[in-house]
Amino acid sequence: MLFLFGFGKLIYISVLLLNAIAVLSEDRFLARIGMGRSAMAQENVGFGGPRQDPESVKSRLVNLISSIRMVTRVPLIAANVLIIVYEILLG
Amino acid sequence: MQRSPFPPPNAKSPELFHPRPQHISQVPHLRSPPLPNQPQQQPPVNSYGNPYGSPPMQQGQGGMENAYGQQYVNGFMNDPNAQMGLQIGKSAMMTGAHYMEQNLNRYVSVSALKHYFNVSNSYVVRKLLLVLLPWRHRPWTRQQTRLHAGHDGSSPQYSNMYLPPRDDLNSPDMYIPIMSLITYILLSTVLAGIRGTFRPEILGSITTTSIVVIVFELLILRTAIYLLNITNESSLLDLAAYAGYKFVGVIVTLFLSEVFTGGRGTNNWIGWAIFLYTWNANSFFLLRSLKYVLLPDSSNDPALRGGANYTMARSQRNARTYSLFAYAYIFQLICMWALSREDGVAASVLGRANA
Repeated sequence: MLFLFGFGKLIYISVLLLNAIAVLSEDRFLARIGMGRSAMAQENVGFGGPRQDPESVKSRLVNLISSIRMVTRVPLIAANVLIIVYEILLG
Repeated sequence: MQRSPFPPPNAKSPELFHPRPQHISQVPHLRSPPLPNQPQQQPPVNSYGNPYGSPPMQQGQGGMENAYGQQYVNGFMNDPNAQMGLQIGKSAMMTGAHYMEQNLNRYVSVSALKHYFNVSNSYVVRKLLLVLLPWRHRPWTRQQTRLHAGHDGSSPQYSNMYLPPRDDLNSPDMYIPIMSLITYILLSTVLAGIRGTFRPEILGSITTTSIVVIVFELLILRTAIYLLNITNESSLLDLAAYAGYKFVGVIVTLFLSEVFTGGRGTNNWIGWAIFLYTWNANSFFLLRSLKYVLLPDSSNDPALRGGANYTMARSQRNARTYSLFAYAYIFQLICMWALSREDGVAASVLGRANA
């Protein structure tokens, strides 16, 4: 953490938080609490068309979380490997 | 064009006895060409008429020194080597400037930044007073100029261009936030020096803390704008400017509590009272100013609305109002508290003595 101009702690915090979001299981957890993507699709069928779908806070939050997970999956692997190597080699 | 030698050739300068440098100087001197009949040796003139002595003109300089003995009578600008050097220098500088401009314009739009720094003295003074005392200010809307893009047969189109800060008190600027950020950093280090806890690393850590607070705030704002489906195009620089106004309140808190408590920091009655006042002022200022960003435009002129002519559900209006209130008050409380924590002298000296 020495050479990062004091951003080291910040990088650690952000990587840990992104890890926490990325490891949430889609079907075992998010669907249970109504935040899964399939839950939104099922609501649509009931109404006969997306009525206020892209505008309610909950649907946008669900979209945001799932897109964060999808986008940061691969870079998180690289970041985690880097941090693990850093910690092992340099204590 | 022939230039006549500068004093008439019969003039003789008086004999001078101070040592004259005999080496050939590589630095371009901005002096007129030397006199043709001089008994002493003077350093040769390398001026290309170019105030920036730029390095990539090596062969031009070499040519100058070689041709100095023969050509200087006619004026050194007629020397072909000097002119070639001049051309190379000119094209090098223009290429460099063009390259930088291209690359810079990809990341930062310079013309938009110029709008934010277009301030005047009276604007700065009135805006500072407004941030600290926003209670009685009456119209909070930014004024806009309307440009007619007149097509034949269709209604004139209004493009919303906001007036620069020089003409409009309600317009956000970047001058005050940047200045107050730097002042906050310097003030914090001065206070740390007064109470004897100064280390050179705290400069960097205070800077990093401030910038992280701002970036975090912008992230939260962006997320809130997305989640609440707010379609006003509010630029990121606007929001950054509004986020930077809190440093004015933090500076006032730090300074006044230091002066009035005789160095006991901000963790006492006076410090908390000043902090609560500046926090209230800042939050009220933000609440009024950001109303046009987060809530729909309530003007009756449909041409000014920019096309978003829809009626919102009541729950959405409430959600937006609550989130604006939460941002202006609660979030700022956290941020300003984080920035204005200072221990008193006794506590920090004791802490150092025990460590």
